[in-house]
This record gives sequence, structure tokens and C-alpha cells, in this order.
Amino acid sequence: MLLARVEGNLTSTRKHPSLDRWRLLICQPISADGAPEGTPVVAIDAHGAAMHQRVIVSTDGAAARKAVGDEKSPVRMMIVGIVDEVRPEGKA
Amino acid sequence: MRLGTVIGRVTLSRTVPALAGARWLVVSPFTRDHFQSDANARPGLSKDPSLVVYDALGGGVGQTIGFVEGREAAQPFDEPTPVDAINAALVDAIFYSPVR
Amino acid sequence: MFLAKVEGSVVATKKDASMNGRKLLLLRPQLVDDKDPSRFRPGVNTLVAVDSVGAGIGEMVLFCQGSSARLAPSLKDAPVDAVIIGIVDVVDVLGKPIYNAKQ
Repeated sequence: MLLARVEGNLTSTRKHPSLDRWRLLICQPISADGAPEGTPVVAIDAHGAAMHQRVIVSTDGAAARKAVGDEKSPVRMMIVGIVDEVRPEGKA
Repeated sequence: MRLGTVIGRVTLSRTVPALAGARWLVVSPFTRDHFQSDANARPGLSKDPSLVVYDALGGGVGQTIGFVEGREAAQPFDEPTPVDAINAALVDAIFYSPVR
Repeated sequence: MFLAKVEGSVVATKKDASMNGRKLLLLRPQLVDDKDPSRFRPGVNTLVAVDSVGAGIGEMVLFCQGSSARLAPSLKDAPVDAVIIGIVDVVDVLGKPIYNAKQ
């Protein structure tokens, strides 16, 4: 799973039917202190994550297929949680 | 799903039976720079390796697509089909506002 | 999938029984050159892939990696992670053919 920040969304009319009605959010993987790490990815969202909120993104295709209810979906990335706080090392 | 620009097409002279007649796109993946620039002034090819994705949505050169990589890319097929990257969405519009 | 040039073949007499009779080829990935998209630049790595289409040395091929590779014909239980799934005829980039098997 990745720690990421929501930095945008996208619209797509023509897509795999399993993605219909799903929000597609652009998620930037980040470090504990919020610095961007690598290239943004697109994930489906069932939790209503807001712009610039920190989220947890799972890359488990099986779980994402279950969420969209279609075993033949190519979906893989899914927001599985909205982060309340990240506690830096030593402050757990 | 990652985003990328369709930059070309591949045609095959021979393939496995499950992929006969398939459509293949050459894609240059977006980097963070691509997200940050506006759609009309998007830098061309990225330094990230170009890849080939299976396409059943009718993507064309110049379009932005969302593609899925890995075993999940083979999930939509009825028969076992060796595909590790698939076009999952033709992107109409991107709204992007990074934290500065 | 990535494009690759077949650079050679690999012979291994002692190998996993599920791979008996399968041809192994040595591939060098070919990526579209971002500085000059009218040509390819070679990838940094060489890899070994199982052939499933009858590819030959010098040909441009399309190959599939990861657990998807086992979805190729008769590789269900083989310990493989790369398979050639097509012989390339033409690659068009930005409207121009940058590879043609007939030339």
C-alpha cells in the first residue's frame, strides 16, 4: 500500500465498463513528511476523498475487483483509507 | 492505473491464437512534469520507457489514456491471454492541482 | 508489453521439466527514443523469454512479463516470467513507420 495525496481527478467517457460511476482520483505517492515520491497514479475511490487529503492506496487487484463487483475488471489501484494523521518516527 | 500519451501503433505478423486481431498501442508514460503542464503544452515523449498496451477502446495517436499493468491487465479476457498492459480508459479531461 | 530485438538463443539441457521442448530466446528491449522518436534506443537489460510464436534471431518481437506470461499456450504451470507473444510487422510512431519487418 502507498501513502499518497489526492492531487486531482480525471473524466473518461470511454473506459472499461467496470469503472462506470467510479471517481478516478490522481494520487501522488508521498513520504512521511509529504514530499512527492515518483509519478502520480490513478485510483478508484469509494471513501469520498477530498482534494489534497492524504490517503492509503492499495495495489491489490483482487480487492479492487471485489469492490467494483466485476471479476473481469482490469482495476488495480484503490483508495482504501483516508489518513487522519501520520506520526513521524519516535512519536508513536 | 498510470496515464500516458498514445504515440504509435504496432502490427504483428504472427501471434498466439488468443490475441489474433488484437490492436496494440505504443504509449509514452506521463511523468510528474506531464501532470503539471497544461494539456496544450504538454512535453512530448517522457524519459520513462515506452511500452505497448492492448487496446479494445479504440485509442489513437495523441490521446491520453489510463493503462493498467500487471496480471490485472489479463483479467477482462474470457480465455487465458498473455497480456500485461491494457488500455482501461480514454481520458477526456484531467484536473490537477498539486500542493506547492 | 515491450518491444525487443531477438539477439540470440539460449540452450539449457538441464531445466525444469515443464519447459522441455520450449525454445528460449535472448531479448534486448527496444524503447522509442524520447530525443528522436523516429528510432529506437536499446534498453539497459538483456532477458530470457520463452518463444510461443516461432520467432527468429534478428526479428523484432512483442513480449509479455510477470505472471501474465504463464497465460500463454501450455505455460500454465511453467516457472516462466517472460514470453514472446508476437512477431512485429510494423511499428508506427507519430505517423511514421520506424520499423518494418519487410525492409
